[in-house]
Amino acid sequence: MTAADFTPRNQAAPDPAIEVRDLWLAYRPGWWVLKGVGLRVPKGELWVVMGPSGAGKTTLMKVLAGLLPFQRGTVEVMGFRLRGEPPRPFRQAVGYIPQQLGLVRGLTALENVLLGTLARHGGWGPTLGLFPREEVERARDYLGMLGLGDKAGVRVFNLSGGERQRVAIARTLMQNPRLILADEFVSDLDLPRAARILETIRGLVRERGLTLLMNLHEIQLVQDLADRVVVLRDGQVVYQGPARSLEWADFRALVEAEDGGARVAGG
Amino acid sequence: MAGPGSLAGKGRGAGLGRWRDLGGVLALLLVMGWVLGRMGFFDPGRLAGGLANFGRFAAELFPPDPSVLPVVLSSLAETVEMAFAGTLLGFILSFPLGVLGTRTLFPRPVVLAVRLLVAIIRTVPSLLWAVIMVIVVGLGPLAGTLALAVYTVGYLAKLYAEILEGVDPEVLEAVRGLGARRRHLVRFVLWPEAANTILSQLLFMLEYNIRSSTVLGLVGAGGIGFYMQVYISTLAYGRLATVLLAVLAVVLLMDGLSAWVRRHYLLQG
Repeated sequence: MTAADFTPRNQAAPDPAIEVRDLWLAYRPGWWVLKGVGLRVPKGELWVVMGPSGAGKTTLMKVLAGLLPFQRGTVEVMGFRLRGEPPRPFRQAVGYIPQQLGLVRGLTALENVLLGTLARHGGWGPTLGLFPREEVERARDYLGMLGLGDKAGVRVFNLSGGERQRVAIARTLMQNPRLILADEFVSDLDLPRAARILETIRGLVRERGLTLLMNLHEIQLVQDLADRVVVLRDGQVVYQGPARSLEWADFRALVEAEDGGARVAGG
Repeated sequence: MAGPGSLAGKGRGAGLGRWRDLGGVLALLLVMGWVLGRMGFFDPGRLAGGLANFGRFAAELFPPDPSVLPVVLSSLAETVEMAFAGTLLGFILSFPLGVLGTRTLFPRPVVLAVRLLVAIIRTVPSLLWAVIMVIVVGLGPLAGTLALAVYTVGYLAKLYAEILEGVDPEVLEAVRGLGARRRHLVRFVLWPEAANTILSQLLFMLEYNIRSSTVLGLVGAGGIGFYMQVYISTLAYGRLATVLLAVLAVVLLMDGLSAWVRRHYLLQG
């Protein structure tokens, strides 16, 4: 990876939230996981990335979150051109919810949500456990809004799967992000519960004019939720188009001969 | 694992595995027998004579001589103080060193330098550290306390680095992605995720140091070891028995205390 090179672009131009050109990434020399991926996500839209297991969805998500170096291509996210460790303003602009949520089990729900403020509070206060009062109130408000008002003081290992998902959403919202990247973070939930969580996040994203890019397996949920769908197979984009025009049969045809990692409700 | 690979392992493959395991155990037993034989373990005359000596020694331990109890108790209290202070001082130094030795947090050269330092400390046994500290600060419990502190660093810093490296990297990555600095990662990820194991190891070290501090007096580093040495060299085995019983009582008390702390404070995660 080369040294940091970030060029905030002219904010007046109608830039997309994400622009990826010819992205190549390998964890080991010669073993390409992403093979020339191209993607352009306009601001304010909800996009879903689908594809079988091993297609490179999580890898793509981590690159966009500024957590993985890549070998070739250009990646611009919220006006930052990614190369090396991104600067703190990028961390504020981009929220990332990993597949396993990345919550600290030994901290309470409230403490986990407050971690979302660390990019803007660099002093020693937070290190000593002292967050600004208004941030604590905001964190409590988010928890309340997501139905976790009475769980603020409960440690994460005592929360249910659905409650943890909501804590992860609240933590991301605390960052004040303009873009949320979510990596199959509802895959451990049953379909009705997953639908409720996604409904919540869609409402928040629409209401605040945020951009959302998420990996998702369930095609029915995708059709209700997303504006557009990208299908990734073997590290390449094999479909890009409106969510409603993609039927299960089409999706299956797209990922045919693969391991069938995608799933559909009741099927 | 219940994958197809392990299913395929049943039948001839598994049978071969069992013979291999048996062969391994037999080889280990043979090596042990050879080493013991070289030391004279299979010399019946030597063992029989030794057992008779042990019987005489054990008989002379009884009855324990209670007249030395006051002096034994006061030096035992000094021993426990040394162990407490030494362990805590060692812990205060070990945690930061453990953090610096964590590969998921610091660059390789820093990690290697810390791990080398800790390995060097660990190479020296606690009794030798006591000799070194007696040379540095003179006779008495301060030397013993410092020796235990340094010895503690050798073990805890290594254990802590390994415990901290075992913290789920996805959680570290997620919090790093929130814009957290290194000190935030230590405070909000590594410590809460590993605190139980870290404190549990600290308790174990305290128990261990209480046992090992009883012999530091042999080299003049304070504590009850001094009296042990005096009673052994003057063949006052009844008095030695009093010392051993008092040490046993403290060790049992400490085991009970740390079990209680573990039950009440450390098992909730």
